[in-house]
Amino acid sequence: MKEKGNGFWSRNGTKAVLASLISILIGMMVGNIVILIVGATNPSMGIKSAWEGICLVFGGMFSTGRDAAGALTFGFNPTSVGNMLFRATPLILTGLSVSVAFKTGLFNIGAPGQYLMGTAATLYIALSIPTSSVPAGLVWILAFLGGILMGAAWGAVPGMMKAFLNINEVLACIMTNWIAANLVTWFFDGSALCNAVESGKTGYIYKTTFNGVETPKMGLDLLFPGSQVNGGILVAIVLAVLVYVLMSKTTLGYELKACGSNRHAARYAGIADRRNIVLSMAIAGGLAGAAASLYYLSGNTEFFWSTYQSLPATGFNGIPVALLAVNNPIGVIFTGCFMSILNISGLQLTNLTAYNEYITDVIIASIVYLSAFSLLIRSLLDGRAKKADKAKSGKKGGGKA
Amino acid sequence: MQSENVIEMLHITKEFPGIIANDDITLQLRRGEIHALLGENGAGKSTLMSVLFGLYQPEAGEIRKNGEVVKINSPNDATALGIGMVHQHFKLIDVFTVLDNIILGAETTRMGFLQKKAAREKVLALSERYGMKVDLDAKVEDITVGMQQRVEILKMLYRDNEILIFDEPTAVLTPQEIDELMATMKEFAKEGKSILFISHKLNEIMAVADRVTVLRKGKYIGTVDTAETDKQTLSNMMVGRPVQLEVVKAPAQPKEVVLHVENLVIPSKGHRKNAVNGVSFDARAGEIVCIAGIDGNGQTELIYGLTGLEKTAGGSITLCGRDITHLTIRQRSEGMSHIPEDRHKHGLVLDFTLEQNMVLQKYREARFQHLGIINNGAVRSYSEDLIKQYDVRSGQGPLTVARSMSGGNQQKAIIAREVDRDLPLIVAVQPTRGLDVGAIEYIHGQLVAERDRGKAVLLVSLELDEVMSLADRILVMYEGEIVGELDPKKTSVQELGLYMAGAKRHGKEGASA
Amino acid sequence: MTFLIQQTLIYAIPLMIVALAGVFAERSGIINLALEGIMIFGAFVGVFFVNHMQPAFSAAKEAGNWMTLQWFAILAMLVAALMGAVFSLLLSFASVNLKADQTIGGTALNLMAPALVLFLIRILENQNTIQMAEGDAASWFMIKKANFGYGRTESMGFLGETFVNRVYLATYICIILFIVLSIVLYKTRFGLRLRSCGENPQAADSLGINVYKMRYAGTTISGALAGLGGFVYALTTANCTANGDVAGFGFLALAVMIFGNWKPLNIAGAALLFGLFKCVAASYSSIDINGDGVFLLAQIGISAHLYRMLPYIITLIVLAFTSKKSRAPKAEGVPYDKGLR
Repeated sequence: MKEKGNGFWSRNGTKAVLASLISILIGMMVGNIVILIVGATNPSMGIKSAWEGICLVFGGMFSTGRDAAGALTFGFNPTSVGNMLFRATPLILTGLSVSVAFKTGLFNIGAPGQYLMGTAATLYIALSIPTSSVPAGLVWILAFLGGILMGAAWGAVPGMMKAFLNINEVLACIMTNWIAANLVTWFFDGSALCNAVESGKTGYIYKTTFNGVETPKMGLDLLFPGSQVNGGILVAIVLAVLVYVLMSKTTLGYELKACGSNRHAARYAGIADRRNIVLSMAIAGGLAGAAASLYYLSGNTEFFWSTYQSLPATGFNGIPVALLAVNNPIGVIFTGCFMSILNISGLQLTNLTAYNEYITDVIIASIVYLSAFSLLIRSLLDGRAKKADKAKSGKKGGGKA
Repeated sequence: MQSENVIEMLHITKEFPGIIANDDITLQLRRGEIHALLGENGAGKSTLMSVLFGLYQPEAGEIRKNGEVVKINSPNDATALGIGMVHQHFKLIDVFTVLDNIILGAETTRMGFLQKKAAREKVLALSERYGMKVDLDAKVEDITVGMQQRVEILKMLYRDNEILIFDEPTAVLTPQEIDELMATMKEFAKEGKSILFISHKLNEIMAVADRVTVLRKGKYIGTVDTAETDKQTLSNMMVGRPVQLEVVKAPAQPKEVVLHVENLVIPSKGHRKNAVNGVSFDARAGEIVCIAGIDGNGQTELIYGLTGLEKTAGGSITLCGRDITHLTIRQRSEGMSHIPEDRHKHGLVLDFTLEQNMVLQKYREARFQHLGIINNGAVRSYSEDLIKQYDVRSGQGPLTVARSMSGGNQQKAIIAREVDRDLPLIVAVQPTRGLDVGAIEYIHGQLVAERDRGKAVLLVSLELDEVMSLADRILVMYEGEIVGELDPKKTSVQELGLYMAGAKRHGKEGASA
Repeated sequence: MTFLIQQTLIYAIPLMIVALAGVFAERSGIINLALEGIMIFGAFVGVFFVNHMQPAFSAAKEAGNWMTLQWFAILAMLVAALMGAVFSLLLSFASVNLKADQTIGGTALNLMAPALVLFLIRILENQNTIQMAEGDAASWFMIKKANFGYGRTESMGFLGETFVNRVYLATYICIILFIVLSIVLYKTRFGLRLRSCGENPQAADSLGINVYKMRYAGTTISGALAGLGGFVYALTTANCTANGDVAGFGFLALAVMIFGNWKPLNIAGAALLFGLFKCVAASYSSIDINGDGVFLLAQIGISAHLYRMLPYIITLIVLAFTSKKSRAPKAEGVPYDKGLR
């Protein structure tokens, strides 16, 4: 029994990974069932189309379109891997943002707003400082830092409302999201940064390459030729490692976690609980801001500025990324990639079938739903060995019923 | 033949994951008797009563009423059988009125609408008959604990219950209120109601009960007539070994003043009156000063004010000659250890491991961190030392998650952490609440030892026995003020009770001595 | 003035009924963060139902039989409420049976509703919006003075113009429902027991009240009201369309609930106040306060962006001022576990 208790299958990490995999599988099944029902009940689509849809849900990442006969073709190509990594970059960072807040006992549903504010700051800096007089590399760094700081400041707002006024951070975050959406639209409305050069593009802000600012490829373009990937993914991974070190190895991380698990005990121990709540939300906001910075500094993305009616999905998708990784910063790297694969599957669905990308949102929502009781899944995985173990060691406990 | 036992619980076994809370327990309650159920904290008394009340289903055994086997699957079944219970932690809805609380679950309705008039009359008649005064339209959160208990009793009477269970009913009452309760219980018994009285206090059991059933560690030990036994015998049955009922300690030798509190005022949350109103006292090195009083008379707030958890509105606090009135919690804690009232709320981060909890007050010291990076090796060896020295038992040593530890060992861990800080003042709030005799003896021993090492100990306790045996000096708090300073050697529990109930008080000058 | 009152009501009524939805869930002890998602779902279901059932009622429409059409509207409201209740079962199941984190569970529903709805709308309509009917969709359900024999130029007087002409029956049904349910909450056995579960479920359980059942009841009523509110939003506020979005109304309703301190009367007042703000934000350029033909709010020269932000900023300010005093049901958000009493 004891050997089994320390074995691979009953390690906490293993169980967390298993629970997440189960959530993913069930989530994908829910999506497939929806496709099946729609396909089967819709005469113009039929079961065959449903089957194609299901194939793409699982293998969209490796889809290479249709052949001459109209059948779906699949195959591996480094370009799509590169694109996957490019799209994973902001997801990893918003995932980190949500998980840092979670560790401090806060639910950061404000990542979309922080992301938008980060976007605005980054684009403004990257496009306004002329690279003719300032080195492009320096402008890049300034824009990146600007995005982080702006996101941090925006994250600190609900943090302060929570810490000093005890306002539910979920509501505060949602309101700040919508305020950010309107602020950003206001900021760019009539701004000189709107793309006036290309025709029909005034709804967009210039790409940062317009000012000669873009993230260096760091050789990744050689590894994944033809893709959008750049050094941003490496920056994201470095940040994930830094967050890991911060949360598990430092006194600051200890304080943040203490506040998150038991605010009263943290206060009792002299930890400034309010400061830590604000700090945690600021770090979370900074990470969401970094997500936006890296996405728009890539130079091949453009920002649709009239955003007041919708919030960026990248922000919300940080929630499933964090939940699936059980808030482990290293795990976030992988779940961020998974979420990116799912996004690509959604695009392929829209391009190649009568279905559309919203099915991936259904899958994501199912995964979040399942994460809500992931503890239950994990305790089911615990099995009986642990119960017997507890019976031996816990004789004294539980008597105060 | 009609059995003389109105309720019989035969061979009851109830298991929880990892623990057998009741192991083959038999209890027989006669009509019209007061039957005490005696046992330590964690002996299984409350579990057994929850089984009788339908809150738990036993794994084995049966319950009989008047000789017939009955199944009690829910509190509804228990009520139908005439069984009522006053729970140790009152089951009241704070924001409801007293009347709503009494009728809840047994409402009279017409077409779904509440009909409260008849209910009001019935409750008034009952409260008249037993002399239990309550204000039916007051909200429960606004009435005293004593009145809340009367509401609980009226809930049972309103349901015409014949079998009344009282779970540790005296813990929250003054000695005088306890006497009243005892009289009421005897009156119920005289009318033919049968009473189960759960307690670990021998004096009360000897005073009121006809028979006693003793449990220890989930097992049935025996049933005896109170007329044929004595306190020492019962105590031995309860603990399983001879128990030293008194704390052994040498007379105190107070030295210099460590803590000086002057006219402290702390506002109350939600009420207009101050929670602490002009409190002044000293605590000296080498003495145990005990703050006694009924729960909710400002003790909690006073300690919050001293330790910095709550803001003060007036007065001053001096610790070792330094004015700490406006310092932060961390700055104050450089001079005082604090064993908090609620070990789950303040004492521990339950999701942290034991070693992480052990350094909760010390993680910033140079030996545990360098430039903000925690030195895990130092944390590990330090907590291993503490665990050994204070005999804290747990499943996986320093890596045990605090939540999975037993209450006694959680408390030991806190005491180890706080006492090891070796600071001039130890503030301990109800340090033995909910613990078994072994753990209580240990903690009392630690506090006395620290006193003898020259520490000032400020103890807050609701248990009169603890106050009388541990204190070198007693300060009684009533409605936010210190109304009396007593010498435990020269006073009696009865006198203490009068102060606690506000019936007696010293002049101002006496309080600030 | 008539315009202002009507517009305010259009925003206030969905807020009010959805805030009451929040009350029923939270008073039973479940935080229903999913109000937004359930509204989105209810809006879609109701619009889809009307869209598909039109043939059955087109004869009545042709004949100008407006009473029959009102029954059609009521039917659609019932369907939306029913499906809202069904959708909310996902939340009840997670939070009552599985004792899951209610915030995350609610967020999942908030993500699920727009995803599912947009997935279906896109397949059904090949665009991101579904309408109740082609052309003048509002003409199906809107009550007009012509229905009462008034001519085009005749006036019904101030009261008639404001509360009868160009209104929806749904508005009054919601008000009646609001009153009835408030009475249920305070004057019936069910209401008393429901409230006890949100305050102290251990106590309720010890008195033989089935906490799980009451929490299911509270959340299901909440789901039905939110689904209904979603449809009313689609009908009155969103011009008879559904597009997988209710512009944060569900969250604003939560704020209204907190501002109203979980009490129906206060909530009604708070909803009217928020409705006024929303109305000003949405149509400040066409509000003529004293009827002199001067559009004051538009002339001040404040940016439209600011007006759009206003409701959210005001919500934050209101929360900031009320949060210290507000008193949430004590046991809300805490899963009730029979084993742990």
